[in-house]
Amino acid sequence: MSARNSYFITAVAIFLAVNLCVAGYYYFRSRRSSRASWENLLAQLSWTDRNNISQVALDLVDEAGLPRPDGESMNLEPSELWRLIGGLEGLQVLEKNSEVLIDLAFYVQQWYPEALAIAERLRLDARELKWHVARLKGAAETGNLQVSFPFYAQRAVAAYYLMTRRVLSLYEAGNFAMLADLQRAL
Amino acid sequence: MRLTGLDFLFWAAGFLLNITLMVILWYRHRAKSFPFFTALITLAIVKTIVLYLVQKHGTRDSYFYTYWSLTMVDTILQLCVVYEVAGRVFRPLDVWAPDLRNSFVWLVGLSAAVALGVTSLASPPARTWMQSFVTKGNFFAEALLSELFVAMMGVSVTAGFRWKTHVAAIAQGMGAYSLITALIEAGHAYFGVGREMPAFVVLSQVRMTAYLGCIVYWIFNLSYDEQPARTMTGKMREQILELQTRMAYDLRTLRSRKNT
Repeated sequence: MSARNSYFITAVAIFLAVNLCVAGYYYFRSRRSSRASWENLLAQLSWTDRNNISQVALDLVDEAGLPRPDGESMNLEPSELWRLIGGLEGLQVLEKNSEVLIDLAFYVQQWYPEALAIAERLRLDARELKWHVARLKGAAETGNLQVSFPFYAQRAVAAYYLMTRRVLSLYEAGNFAMLADLQRAL
Repeated sequence: MRLTGLDFLFWAAGFLLNITLMVILWYRHRAKSFPFFTALITLAIVKTIVLYLVQKHGTRDSYFYTYWSLTMVDTILQLCVVYEVAGRVFRPLDVWAPDLRNSFVWLVGLSAAVALGVTSLASPPARTWMQSFVTKGNFFAEALLSELFVAMMGVSVTAGFRWKTHVAAIAQGMGAYSLITALIEAGHAYFGVGREMPAFVVLSQVRMTAYLGCIVYWIFNLSYDEQPARTMTGKMREQILELQTRMAYDLRTLRSRKNT
Protein backbone atom coordinates (compact mmCIF):
# COMPACT_ATOMS: atom_id res chain seq x y z
CA MET A 1 0.00 0.00 0.00
CA SER A 2 1.43 3.39 -1.01
CA ALA A 3 1.75 6.16 1.57
CA ARG A 4 -0.88 8.21 -0.24
CA ASN A 5 -3.36 5.33 -0.19
CA SER A 6 -2.81 4.75 3.51
CA TYR A 7 -3.45 8.48 4.17
CA PHE A 8 -6.65 8.22 2.15
CA ILE A 9 -7.88 5.14 4.01
CA THR A 10 -7.06 6.75 7.38
CA ALA A 11 -8.84 9.97 6.39
CA VAL A 12 -11.92 8.03 5.21
CA ALA A 13 -11.98 6.02 8.46
CA ILE A 14 -11.82 9.21 10.57
CA PHE A 15 -14.39 10.92 8.34
CA LEU A 16 -16.90 8.07 8.64
CA ALA A 17 -16.31 7.55 12.37
CA VAL A 18 -16.87 11.25 13.13
CA ASN A 19 -19.98 11.38 10.93
CA LEU A 20 -21.43 8.25 12.53
CA CYS A 21 -20.76 9.45 16.08
CA VAL A 22 -22.26 12.91 15.44
CA ALA A 23 -25.28 11.44 13.61
CA GLY A 24 -25.86 8.86 16.36
CA TYR A 25 -25.57 11.42 19.14
CA TYR A 26 -28.05 13.86 17.58
CA TYR A 27 -30.37 11.10 16.39
CA PHE A 28 -30.85 9.77 19.91
CA ARG A 29 -31.16 13.29 21.33
CA SER A 30 -33.92 14.20 18.89
CA ARG A 31 -35.65 10.83 19.28
CA ARG A 32 -35.81 11.27 23.04
CA SER A 33 -37.85 14.48 22.75
CA SER A 34 -39.97 13.67 19.70
CA ARG A 35 -41.31 10.37 21.07
CA ALA A 36 -42.02 11.57 24.59
CA SER A 37 -45.58 11.33 25.86
CA TRP A 38 -47.37 14.16 27.64
CA GLU A 39 -46.62 12.63 31.03
CA ASN A 40 -42.96 12.12 30.14
CA LEU A 41 -42.65 15.69 28.95
CA LEU A 42 -44.06 17.06 32.19
CA ALA A 43 -41.81 14.72 34.16
CA GLN A 44 -38.79 16.16 32.36
CA LEU A 45 -39.49 19.62 33.77
CA SER A 46 -37.20 20.18 36.75
CA TRP A 47 -38.58 21.98 39.75
CA THR A 48 -38.06 25.74 39.87
CA ASP A 49 -39.38 28.37 42.23
CA ARG A 50 -41.95 30.18 40.09
CA ASN A 51 -42.22 33.09 42.53
CA ASN A 52 -38.51 33.76 42.31
CA ILE A 53 -38.51 33.51 38.52
CA SER A 54 -41.43 35.91 38.20
CA GLN A 55 -39.84 38.33 40.66
CA VAL A 56 -36.54 38.41 38.78
CA ALA A 57 -38.18 38.62 35.34
CA LEU A 58 -40.74 41.30 36.27
CA ASP A 59 -37.92 43.43 37.67
CA LEU A 60 -36.69 43.74 34.06
CA VAL A 61 -39.76 43.38 31.83
CA ASP A 62 -43.52 43.69 32.20
CA GLU A 63 -45.95 40.79 31.79
CA ALA A 64 -46.09 41.38 28.03
CA GLY A 65 -42.31 41.12 27.80
CA LEU A 66 -41.74 44.84 27.20
CA PRO A 67 -38.79 46.47 29.00
CA ARG A 68 -39.71 48.47 32.07
CA PRO A 69 -38.86 52.20 32.15
CA ASP A 70 -35.38 52.99 33.48
CA GLY A 71 -36.42 54.16 36.95
CA GLU A 72 -38.62 51.13 37.56
CA SER A 73 -36.33 48.33 36.39
CA MET A 74 -33.32 46.46 37.76
CA ASN A 75 -34.04 47.22 41.39
CA LEU A 76 -32.78 43.86 42.63
CA GLU A 77 -29.30 43.75 44.12
CA PRO A 78 -26.74 41.34 42.55
CA SER A 79 -26.61 39.23 45.73
CA GLU A 80 -30.41 39.03 45.79
CA LEU A 81 -30.45 38.01 42.12
CA TRP A 82 -27.92 35.26 42.78
CA ARG A 83 -30.02 33.95 45.66
CA LEU A 84 -33.34 34.08 43.81
CA ILE A 85 -31.97 32.40 40.67
CA GLY A 86 -29.83 29.85 42.46
CA GLY A 87 -26.57 30.82 40.77
CA LEU A 88 -25.31 29.24 37.57
CA GLU A 89 -26.82 25.87 38.53
CA GLY A 90 -30.27 27.46 38.69
CA LEU A 91 -29.81 28.89 35.20
CA GLN A 92 -28.74 25.51 33.87
CA VAL A 93 -32.02 24.06 35.16
CA LEU A 94 -33.92 26.78 33.28
CA GLU A 95 -31.89 26.03 30.16
CA LYS A 96 -32.90 22.37 30.35
CA ASN A 97 -36.53 23.25 31.05
CA SER A 98 -36.61 25.58 28.04
CA GLU A 99 -36.04 22.53 25.79
CA VAL A 100 -39.06 20.84 27.38
CA LEU A 101 -41.17 23.96 26.83
CA ILE A 102 -40.41 23.76 23.10
CA ASP A 103 -41.42 20.10 23.16
CA LEU A 104 -44.67 21.02 24.92
CA ALA A 105 -45.44 23.53 22.16
CA PHE A 106 -44.52 20.99 19.47
CA TYR A 107 -46.74 18.44 21.17
CA VAL A 108 -49.82 20.67 21.10
CA GLN A 109 -49.06 21.57 17.47
CA GLN A 110 -50.16 18.10 16.45
CA TRP A 111 -53.81 18.94 16.87
CA TYR A 112 -53.54 22.73 16.90
CA PRO A 113 -51.49 23.93 13.87
CA GLU A 114 -51.70 27.57 15.01
CA ALA A 115 -49.08 26.62 17.60
CA LEU A 116 -46.43 26.70 14.86
CA ALA A 117 -45.71 30.41 15.26
CA ILE A 118 -45.51 30.17 19.04
CA ALA A 119 -43.24 27.12 18.81
CA GLU A 120 -40.87 29.13 16.60
CA ARG A 121 -41.03 32.07 19.02
CA LEU A 122 -40.21 29.72 21.91
CA ARG A 123 -37.29 28.31 19.97
CA LEU A 124 -35.85 31.81 19.51
CA ASP A 125 -36.41 32.59 23.22
CA ALA A 126 -34.58 29.38 24.14
CA ARG A 127 -31.71 30.38 21.86
CA GLU A 128 -31.53 33.74 23.65
CA LEU A 129 -31.56 32.02 27.03
CA LYS A 130 -28.78 29.66 25.98
CA TRP A 131 -26.76 32.56 24.62
CA HIS A 132 -26.90 34.35 27.99
CA VAL A 133 -26.02 31.16 29.89
CA ALA A 134 -23.11 30.52 27.52
CA ARG A 135 -21.77 34.03 28.23
CA LEU A 136 -21.95 33.29 31.97
CA LYS A 137 -20.21 29.94 31.58
CA GLY A 138 -17.46 31.76 29.70
CA ALA A 139 -17.30 34.36 32.46
CA ALA A 140 -17.07 31.60 35.08
CA GLU A 141 -14.05 30.15 33.29
CA THR A 142 -12.27 33.51 33.27
CA GLY A 143 -13.20 34.29 36.88
CA ASN A 144 -15.63 37.10 35.97
CA LEU A 145 -18.87 35.37 36.94
CA GLN A 146 -19.78 37.69 39.80
CA VAL A 147 -19.39 40.78 37.58
CA SER A 148 -21.32 39.39 34.60
CA PHE A 149 -24.00 37.49 36.48
CA PRO A 150 -26.60 40.25 37.13
CA PHE A 151 -26.71 41.43 33.51
CA TYR A 152 -26.90 38.09 31.69
CA ALA A 153 -28.73 36.07 34.34
CA GLN A 154 -31.65 38.47 34.63
CA ARG A 155 -32.10 38.49 30.85
CA ALA A 156 -31.96 34.69 30.75
CA VAL A 157 -34.60 34.45 33.46
CA ALA A 158 -36.81 37.00 31.66
CA ALA A 159 -36.56 34.90 28.48
CA TYR A 160 -37.54 31.78 30.41
CA TYR A 161 -40.41 33.53 32.17
CA LEU A 162 -41.82 34.73 28.83
CA MET A 163 -41.48 31.21 27.46
CA THR A 164 -43.60 29.81 30.29
CA ARG A 165 -46.20 32.53 29.68
CA ARG A 166 -46.32 31.71 25.97
CA VAL A 167 -46.75 28.00 26.58
CA LEU A 168 -49.59 28.65 29.00
CA SER A 169 -51.29 31.07 26.58
CA LEU A 170 -50.92 28.51 23.82
CA TYR A 171 -52.63 25.79 25.81
CA GLU A 172 -55.27 28.25 26.91
CA ALA A 173 -56.02 29.29 23.32
CA GLY A 174 -56.06 25.73 22.04
CA ASN A 175 -58.55 24.56 24.62
CA PHE A 176 -60.84 27.50 24.97
CA ALA A 177 -64.03 25.46 25.50
CA MET A 178 -62.39 23.48 28.26
CA LEU A 179 -61.25 26.70 29.92
CA ALA A 180 -64.78 28.15 29.86
CA ASP A 181 -66.06 25.02 31.62
CA LEU A 182 -63.40 25.45 34.17
CA GLN A 183 -64.13 29.11 34.78
CA ARG A 184 -67.79 28.26 35.28
CA ALA A 185 -66.81 25.54 37.75
CA LEU A 186 -64.69 27.98 39.69
CA MET B 1 -21.46 -6.72 -20.57
CA ARG B 2 -22.59 -9.95 -18.87
CA LEU B 3 -24.98 -9.72 -15.96
CA THR B 4 -25.45 -12.46 -13.38
CA GLY B 5 -28.73 -13.71 -11.92
CA LEU B 6 -28.05 -11.72 -8.76
CA ASP B 7 -27.60 -8.53 -10.81
CA PHE B 8 -31.01 -9.08 -12.41
CA LEU B 9 -32.54 -9.79 -9.02
CA PHE B 10 -31.24 -6.47 -7.62
CA TRP B 11 -32.34 -4.67 -10.75
CA ALA B 12 -35.86 -6.11 -10.64
CA ALA B 13 -36.24 -5.63 -6.87
CA GLY B 14 -35.06 -2.00 -7.07
CA PHE B 15 -37.42 -1.32 -9.96
CA LEU B 16 -40.47 -2.85 -8.25
CA LEU B 17 -39.77 -1.17 -4.90
CA ASN B 18 -39.27 2.20 -6.60
CA ILE B 19 -42.61 1.77 -8.41
CA THR B 20 -44.27 0.92 -5.07
CA LEU B 21 -42.75 4.00 -3.44
CA MET B 22 -43.85 6.16 -6.35
CA VAL B 23 -47.44 4.89 -6.03
CA ILE B 24 -47.39 5.71 -2.31
CA LEU B 25 -45.96 9.19 -2.95
CA TRP B 26 -48.83 10.03 -5.33
CA TYR B 27 -51.65 8.04 -3.76
CA ARG B 28 -50.95 9.33 -0.23
CA HIS B 29 -50.39 12.92 -1.53
CA ARG B 30 -46.73 13.11 -0.48
CA ALA B 31 -45.51 14.13 -3.95
CA LYS B 32 -46.82 17.68 -3.53
CA SER B 33 -44.98 18.09 -0.23
CA PHE B 34 -41.72 16.56 -1.49
CA PRO B 35 -41.40 17.37 -5.23
CA PHE B 36 -37.62 16.89 -5.44
CA PHE B 37 -37.75 13.60 -3.57
CA THR B 38 -40.53 12.43 -5.92
CA ALA B 39 -38.41 13.52 -8.89
CA LEU B 40 -35.48 11.53 -7.50
CA ILE B 41 -37.56 8.36 -7.25
CA THR B 42 -39.02 8.99 -10.73
CA LEU B 43 -35.49 9.30 -12.08
CA ALA B 44 -34.54 6.00 -10.45
CA ILE B 45 -37.40 4.29 -12.31
CA VAL B 46 -36.59 5.99 -15.61
CA LYS B 47 -32.90 5.16 -15.14
CA THR B 48 -33.66 1.47 -14.66
CA ILE B 49 -35.81 1.29 -17.81
CA VAL B 50 -33.42 3.34 -19.98
CA LEU B 51 -30.30 1.48 -18.86
CA TYR B 52 -32.01 -1.86 -19.39
CA LEU B 53 -32.90 -0.90 -22.97
CA VAL B 54 -29.45 0.57 -23.69
CA GLN B 55 -27.76 -2.49 -22.22
CA LYS B 56 -29.95 -4.74 -24.40
CA HIS B 57 -29.76 -2.83 -27.67
CA GLY B 58 -27.00 -0.21 -27.37
CA THR B 59 -23.22 -0.24 -27.49
CA ARG B 60 -20.78 -0.26 -24.59
CA ASP B 61 -20.03 3.45 -25.16
CA SER B 62 -23.69 4.45 -25.28
CA TYR B 63 -24.28 2.59 -22.00
CA PHE B 64 -21.29 4.39 -20.42
CA TYR B 65 -22.48 7.87 -21.46
CA THR B 66 -26.14 7.18 -20.58
CA TYR B 67 -25.17 5.80 -17.17
CA TRP B 68 -22.96 8.74 -16.21
CA SER B 69 -25.35 11.38 -17.57
CA LEU B 70 -28.20 9.96 -15.50
CA THR B 71 -25.92 9.59 -12.46
CA MET B 72 -25.02 13.27 -12.73
CA VAL B 73 -28.71 14.25 -12.80
CA ASP B 74 -29.26 11.89 -9.86
CA THR B 75 -26.53 13.65 -7.80
CA ILE B 76 -27.99 17.08 -8.61
CA LEU B 77 -31.43 15.86 -7.53
CA GLN B 78 -29.98 14.49 -4.28
CA LEU B 79 -28.59 17.96 -3.53
CA CYS B 80 -32.05 19.35 -4.30
CA VAL B 81 -33.52 16.90 -1.77
CA VAL B 82 -31.04 18.22 0.82
CA TYR B 83 -32.39 21.70 0.08
CA GLU B 84 -35.96 20.43 0.27
CA VAL B 85 -35.38 18.76 3.65
CA ALA B 86 -33.58 21.86 4.96
CA GLY B 87 -36.51 23.99 3.81
CA ARG B 88 -39.04 21.79 5.61
CA VAL B 89 -37.07 21.86 8.85
CA PHE B 90 -35.55 25.34 8.97
CA ARG B 91 -38.42 27.34 7.43
CA PRO B 92 -41.21 26.69 9.92
CA LEU B 93 -42.95 29.98 9.07
CA ASP B 94 -42.08 29.97 5.35
CA VAL B 95 -38.98 32.09 5.90
CA TRP B 96 -35.52 30.78 6.75
CA ALA B 97 -34.85 30.90 10.48
CA PRO B 98 -33.04 34.24 10.96
CA ASP B 99 -30.62 32.88 13.57
CA LEU B 100 -29.19 30.21 11.27
CA ARG B 101 -28.17 32.02 8.10
CA ASN B 102 -24.50 32.29 9.05
CA SER B 103 -24.44 28.74 10.37
CA PHE B 104 -25.68 27.45 6.99
CA VAL B 105 -22.97 29.24 5.04
CA TRP B 106 -20.34 27.93 7.44
CA LEU B 107 -21.68 24.39 7.38
CA VAL B 108 -21.92 24.12 3.60
CA GLY B 109 -18.46 25.66 3.20
CA LEU B 110 -16.89 23.45 5.86
CA SER B 111 -18.59 20.29 4.56
CA ALA B 112 -17.39 21.00 1.01
CA ALA B 113 -13.85 21.73 2.26
CA VAL B 114 -13.66 18.50 4.30
CA ALA B 115 -15.08 16.40 1.45
CA LEU B 116 -12.62 18.02 -0.97
CA GLY B 117 -9.71 17.47 1.42
CA VAL B 118 -10.41 13.75 1.84
CA THR B 119 -11.06 13.36 -1.91
CA SER B 120 -7.74 15.00 -2.78
CA LEU B 121 -5.95 12.16 -0.96
CA ALA B 122 -7.50 9.49 -3.21
CA SER B 123 -5.44 8.04 -6.05
CA PRO B 124 -7.70 5.46 -7.71
CA PRO B 125 -6.01 2.84 -9.93
CA ALA B 126 -7.66 4.06 -13.15
CA ARG B 127 -6.74 3.50 -16.79
CA THR B 128 -7.80 6.97 -17.96
CA TRP B 129 -7.96 10.39 -16.31
CA MET B 130 -11.70 10.39 -16.99
CA GLN B 131 -12.18 7.21 -14.95
CA SER B 132 -10.10 8.70 -12.13
CA PHE B 133 -12.09 11.95 -12.24
CA VAL B 134 -15.44 10.12 -12.16
CA THR B 135 -14.36 7.89 -9.24
CA LYS B 136 -13.15 10.88 -7.22
CA GLY B 137 -16.22 12.90 -8.18
CA ASN B 138 -18.53 10.14 -6.93
CA PHE B 139 -16.71 9.92 -3.62
CA PHE B 140 -16.77 13.71 -3.21
CA ALA B 141 -20.52 13.90 -3.92
CA GLU B 142 -21.42 11.14 -1.47
CA ALA B 143 -19.08 12.45 1.24
CA LEU B 144 -20.59 15.93 0.87
CA LEU B 145 -24.17 14.62 0.97
CA SER B 146 -23.55 12.54 4.09
CA GLU B 147 -21.93 15.53 5.82
CA LEU B 148 -24.82 17.81 4.91
CA PHE B 149 -27.40 15.41 6.34
CA VAL B 150 -25.43 14.93 9.56
CA ALA B 151 -24.86 18.69 9.85
CA MET B 152 -28.57 19.39 9.33
CA MET B 153 -29.44 16.94 12.08
CA GLY B 154 -26.93 18.56 14.45
CA VAL B 155 -28.01 22.14 13.70
CA SER B 156 -31.70 21.30 14.05
CA VAL B 157 -31.25 19.68 17.46
CA THR B 158 -28.93 22.42 18.73
CA ALA B 159 -31.19 25.23 17.52
CA GLY B 160 -34.35 23.62 18.91
CA PHE B 161 -36.09 22.56 15.68
CA ARG B 162 -38.33 19.51 15.81
CA TRP B 163 -38.64 17.09 12.88
CA LYS B 164 -41.94 15.84 11.57
CA THR B 165 -42.19 12.13 10.76
CA HIS B 166 -42.05 12.20 6.94
CA VAL B 167 -39.23 14.68 6.51
CA ALA B 168 -37.26 12.86 9.23
CA ALA B 169 -37.74 9.53 7.42
CA ILE B 170 -36.51 10.98 4.11
CA ALA B 171 -33.50 12.64 5.76
CA GLN B 172 -32.58 9.58 7.83
CA GLY B 173 -32.86 7.26 4.83
CA MET B 174 -30.81 9.51 2.57
CA GLY B 175 -28.28 10.27 5.29
CA ALA B 176 -27.71 6.60 6.06
CA TYR B 177 -27.55 5.69 2.37
CA SER B 178 -25.07 8.46 1.55
CA LEU B 179 -22.84 7.39 4.48
CA ILE B 180 -22.81 3.78 3.21
CA THR B 181 -22.26 4.98 -0.37
CA ALA B 182 -19.38 7.20 0.74
CA LEU B 183 -17.74 4.09 2.20
CA ILE B 184 -18.38 2.15 -1.01
CA GLU B 185 -17.06 4.98 -3.20
CA ALA B 186 -13.96 5.05 -0.98
CA GLY B 187 -13.62 1.33 -1.79
CA HIS B 188 -13.90 2.13 -5.51
CA ALA B 189 -11.27 4.85 -5.14
CA TYR B 190 -8.97 2.36 -3.42
CA PHE B 191 -9.55 -0.82 -5.43
CA GLY B 192 -10.50 0.77 -8.74
CA VAL B 193 -13.60 0.29 -10.88
CA GLY B 194 -14.54 -2.34 -13.44
CA ARG B 195 -16.78 -5.39 -13.44
CA GLU B 196 -13.75 -7.65 -13.89
CA MET B 197 -12.69 -6.82 -10.31
CA PRO B 198 -14.33 -8.98 -7.61
CA ALA B 199 -14.13 -6.11 -5.07
CA PHE B 200 -16.08 -3.82 -7.41
CA VAL B 201 -18.86 -6.39 -7.83
CA VAL B 202 -19.14 -7.01 -4.07
CA LEU B 203 -19.21 -3.26 -3.32
CA SER B 204 -21.92 -2.72 -5.94
CA GLN B 205 -24.03 -5.46 -4.36
CA VAL B 206 -23.60 -3.94 -0.90
CA ARG B 207 -24.68 -0.57 -2.31
CA MET B 208 -27.75 -2.10 -3.94
CA THR B 209 -28.69 -3.92 -0.72
CA ALA B 210 -28.41 -0.65 1.22
CA TYR B 211 -30.51 1.12 -1.40
CA LEU B 212 -33.23 -1.55 -1.24
CA GLY B 213 -33.25 -1.24 2.55
CA CYS B 214 -33.71 2.52 2.23
CA ILE B 215 -36.64 2.21 -0.17
CA VAL B 216 -38.36 -0.28 2.15
CA TYR B 217 -37.81 2.18 5.03
CA TRP B 218 -39.36 5.03 2.99
CA ILE B 219 -42.28 2.88 1.82
CA PHE B 220 -43.03 1.93 5.41
CA ASN B 221 -42.73 5.45 6.85
CA LEU B 222 -44.41 7.39 4.04
CA SER B 223 -47.39 5.01 3.92
CA TYR B 224 -48.61 6.27 7.26
CA ASP B 225 -49.85 9.75 8.00
CA GLU B 226 -47.74 11.93 10.26
CA GLN B 227 -48.25 11.35 13.96
CA PRO B 228 -52.03 11.18 14.35
CA ALA B 229 -53.75 14.02 16.13
CA ARG B 230 -54.11 13.12 19.77
CA THR B 231 -56.99 14.27 21.87
CA MET B 232 -56.68 15.85 25.27
CA THR B 233 -57.20 13.36 28.03
CA GLY B 234 -58.91 14.31 31.27
CA LYS B 235 -55.61 14.08 33.08
CA MET B 236 -53.92 16.43 30.65
CA ARG B 237 -56.72 18.98 31.12
CA GLU B 238 -56.32 18.79 34.85
CA GLN B 239 -52.57 19.34 34.59
CA ILE B 240 -53.01 22.38 32.34
CA LEU B 241 -55.65 23.70 34.65
CA GLU B 242 -53.37 23.29 37.62
CA LEU B 243 -50.53 25.09 35.83
CA GLN B 244 -52.79 27.97 34.84
CA THR B 245 -54.26 28.34 38.30
CA ARG B 246 -50.80 28.31 39.87
CA MET B 247 -49.55 30.92 37.40
CA ALA B 248 -52.57 33.16 38.03
CA TYR B 249 -52.01 32.83 41.78
CA ASP B 250 -48.31 33.68 41.42
CA LEU B 251 -49.15 36.79 39.43
CA ARG B 252 -51.76 37.93 41.96
CA THR B 253 -49.20 37.44 44.74
CA LEU B 254 -46.59 39.41 42.87
CA ARG B 255 -48.95 42.26 42.07
CA SER B 256 -50.01 42.54 45.71
CA ARG B 257 -46.32 42.53 46.76
CA LYS B 258 -45.55 45.36 44.34
CA ASN B 259 -48.51 47.43 45.61
CA THR B 260 -47.48 47.15 49.26
